[in-house]
Amino acid sequence: MSKLNRRAFLKNLAFSSEKVAPREGKVLVCIFLRGGADTLNMFVPYADSDYYKQRPTIAIPPPNKSKPNAEASIRLNDIYALHPRLKPILPIYQNGRMAIVQAVGSDNPTGSHFDTQDQIEHGEAYGKTIGGGWLGRHLRLNAQNHQTPLSAVSIGTSICESLSGAPSVSALDSLDEIKLQTLPNDSHAMLAALTSLYGTEIDLLSQPGKDTIQLLNRVQNMHNGGYHPENNARYADDNLSKGLKEIARLIKANVGLQVACIDFGGWDTHFVQGATEGLQADNIAQLGKALEAFDADLQKYHSKVTTIVMTEFGRRTYENGSLGTDHGQGSAMMVIGGGVRGGKFYGEWTGVSDQETDLLGPSGLRIKHDYRAVLSEVLSGMLHNHNVHKVFPDFKPTPIGFAPTTSA
Amino acid sequence: MQSEDKSAQDVDLQVGTTSISRRTLLKTAALLSSAASLSSCEHLVSRVTENMGESVPEHIAVSTNSQIDPIFHLLSRAAYGPWPGDLEKVKKMGQGAWIDEQLNPDKIDDGACRLRAGRFESVHLDPGTTFEYKKSVIKEELVRHTLLQSVYSKRQLQQVMVEFWTDHLNIDINKGDCIYMKGTDDRLVIRKHALGNFHDLIKASAISPAMLVYLDGNQNKRAKPEDVPNENYGRELLELHTLGVNGGYTQKDVYEAARCLTGWRIHDQWQRGKVYFDSELHDKGSKVVLGKTIPAGGGEKDLDRLIEIACSHPSTAKHIATKMVRRFVSESPQPRLVDEVSQIFINTRGDIKPMMKCILLSEEFKESAGQKIKRPYQYIVTCLRSLAADTYAHQELVQYLVRMGQGPFQYPTPDGYPDEAKPWLGTLLWRWNFALALTNKKVPAVDVSIEKLAKAIYPNAEAEISAAQLMPHFVGRLATESEIAAFQQYISKNHSKKKQFDKNQSLSPGDKHLPELIGLILSSPAFQRC
Repeated sequence: MSKLNRRAFLKNLAFSSEKVAPREGKVLVCIFLRGGADTLNMFVPYADSDYYKQRPTIAIPPPNKSKPNAEASIRLNDIYALHPRLKPILPIYQNGRMAIVQAVGSDNPTGSHFDTQDQIEHGEAYGKTIGGGWLGRHLRLNAQNHQTPLSAVSIGTSICESLSGAPSVSALDSLDEIKLQTLPNDSHAMLAALTSLYGTEIDLLSQPGKDTIQLLNRVQNMHNGGYHPENNARYADDNLSKGLKEIARLIKANVGLQVACIDFGGWDTHFVQGATEGLQADNIAQLGKALEAFDADLQKYHSKVTTIVMTEFGRRTYENGSLGTDHGQGSAMMVIGGGVRGGKFYGEWTGVSDQETDLLGPSGLRIKHDYRAVLSEVLSGMLHNHNVHKVFPDFKPTPIGFAPTTSA
Repeated sequence: MQSEDKSAQDVDLQVGTTSISRRTLLKTAALLSSAASLSSCEHLVSRVTENMGESVPEHIAVSTNSQIDPIFHLLSRAAYGPWPGDLEKVKKMGQGAWIDEQLNPDKIDDGACRLRAGRFESVHLDPGTTFEYKKSVIKEELVRHTLLQSVYSKRQLQQVMVEFWTDHLNIDINKGDCIYMKGTDDRLVIRKHALGNFHDLIKASAISPAMLVYLDGNQNKRAKPEDVPNENYGRELLELHTLGVNGGYTQKDVYEAARCLTGWRIHDQWQRGKVYFDSELHDKGSKVVLGKTIPAGGGEKDLDRLIEIACSHPSTAKHIATKMVRRFVSESPQPRLVDEVSQIFINTRGDIKPMMKCILLSEEFKESAGQKIKRPYQYIVTCLRSLAADTYAHQELVQYLVRMGQGPFQYPTPDGYPDEAKPWLGTLLWRWNFALALTNKKVPAVDVSIEKLAKAIYPNAEAEISAAQLMPHFVGRLATESEIAAFQQYISKNHSKKKQFDKNQSLSPGDKHLPELIGLILSSPAFQRC
């Protein structure tokens, strides 16, 4: 490299790092409840007497009318109440930062977890393979946005299907994995050498190399300080809470995170599901506390971060002979933050009474919103993706109205 | 002692089935008795295969040119990089002779590789029998089998082509029951025809049980006129496997192709996993595909006719030639070379060998040295080969691939892992950490002999060795000044408290930083390229 080139290059380097430093991008966090969550017991339609008829043992008591030794649900509006274990998220709802879209689902008729999760994560209509996951396509369409090694993160050891096909995606359990695995005390020398090696690159490898080095430096600084959640947010020790804590760290570290996915399993409650206590209530409690801590920790980032909580399908409206519920259809989806027009439910309550006679596929809450309509609105209204028709080709979303009316 | 005796016996039996020379066999037998005290079958195999050439040779000749050595380049694309010593071997042999040898893989003795990779039962069984295994076991065995062959096979070009066709005829083993059948697909479709004839490859794939499940061919029927054929496989056959998306077929052609393909089923009880044709489910009418009429009443022969029509279409020749040139030469396939290769496709009715030979001997190929970026799979395999690593591809190693997003047979959609560099550029950190873990012996159950390698590259036993001397072994050319400067940065920071070093800072072969210095070379931009 000639002297002149080197100078130009160094100048360039200085500018480019300046340009990269502040990232004001939006972040989407997807929490997928695996197993088909019974959202009817999370957002309880207490005003519908059929709900109580169909669920004699597992229904959640209406607000203020508790059975002995059981807590009542918490009133949200004239129709719905919260499962008592979701109390931690009540303020989020009341402050208008959480919207619930009722009766969301897909056209998948199989009732199979695998098949339906796959279809939803791929963002497809039943039997119509597109290629990659819906978030993978979203990120590809945003390729003009700078991609970093942490643009897309799947918490855990494998990359979730929704992110497949993304330009770059990392699976990790913890931010602590973001460091050079050198011998003790060698990482500084190694990083310096890598900085030189990639600094003189001019081709495709140049930017990714510099990004990775910058990332390591940033995370190094974070490690040095340890992590202290803000606003007294207290993350529990379960996988969801730990994962959300790592996501919060990533967001604050400003390392270019655009999408983070995290799974929460164990919602397939065919057998002794429980009501205010029990199998599902334990899951619900974890979910509630995790969302509460995440929301508090990220108070400064509320408009920037959108969190969605979804599942592959809801469950039957009536309980089965083993005090659980079988695979159903529609479920409620949560959209939190990102300027959402929250504090309310979208999609009218049409009751559970006529569901039993539904012979077409597994019965349950009749689907009012194709899941892609919700995801489309999240992408276009909250993440400003103007090519949503390419993320969900051959699908025309009907507006639901929870996204802030924005001009990008 | 009993179990150890048994493992010795197993190995002995497998050695018996390979075609290794009598002398090697005798040497092997001698080793077997001494190695019997080792604790596991794998240690035993390592000892045996070391003797069969899977080790670091005494001396390694490296490139002394500032440009990438042409043979190194050839081995970087038509193989997973040179095994230590290969460069010299192939140079002696000559480029043309090596290509000819590689084009006839069955004639290459691969006994040592088979000792490592041939031990996985489920890979060799038919789908009916694999149903008796756990999915996780089959998955693990299939992946290990493939990875070990990529690393150790002497039939390197075949392995590289296996990766190419595995992407081209992608099947995701996580879909439905595909995992039970992918082993058979790998054996009887991909590996069997990797360097064979394209028509035969597609025909075999069309009635491969794994493909019938993956693309819903086994759902495709027209027993009654009102039945709508399932177009999934028919569409991908035209769009991905043969003509290509802009190959000039219409939606009507897709429909007609799907009609031709109705009626293929997989037994699910008796003869489980075996494919058969059910004429009751087949559309018996006449079809018109790509302007050619397939008369009524063809029955199961409709599939043959369809495959023939699709494979003979000029767009198919162009599509396959383009994909091969993209994989082996450049992300922007050169039109002249594509035309030449597709003409060979047409003239030979899809003979893969002459197409391959044409590509590897072309000017375009020669000029493309170092201009492609390795995908994660290629990166990991070339790292292992360059160090003559000793591994059995346990989960810990495979996990690195999964983390970089390229776990074998796990791409969800039928278009296969992307061939362009861009989707893989976010994996640098994981590459660096793999390189550092590998050279520091921190990848569980993967062993490397750094000291031995360093001595083989620079055989003056007493002298110290510098990064500049090591670099050519890994990238096929001398290190550049800026590379040397960067390596020195690493060394001097680690020796700052000691004496000042001169320009060619070096380490003794036993220095604890030598492995990491090699890790740094494997992390460098030059080693990401091929």
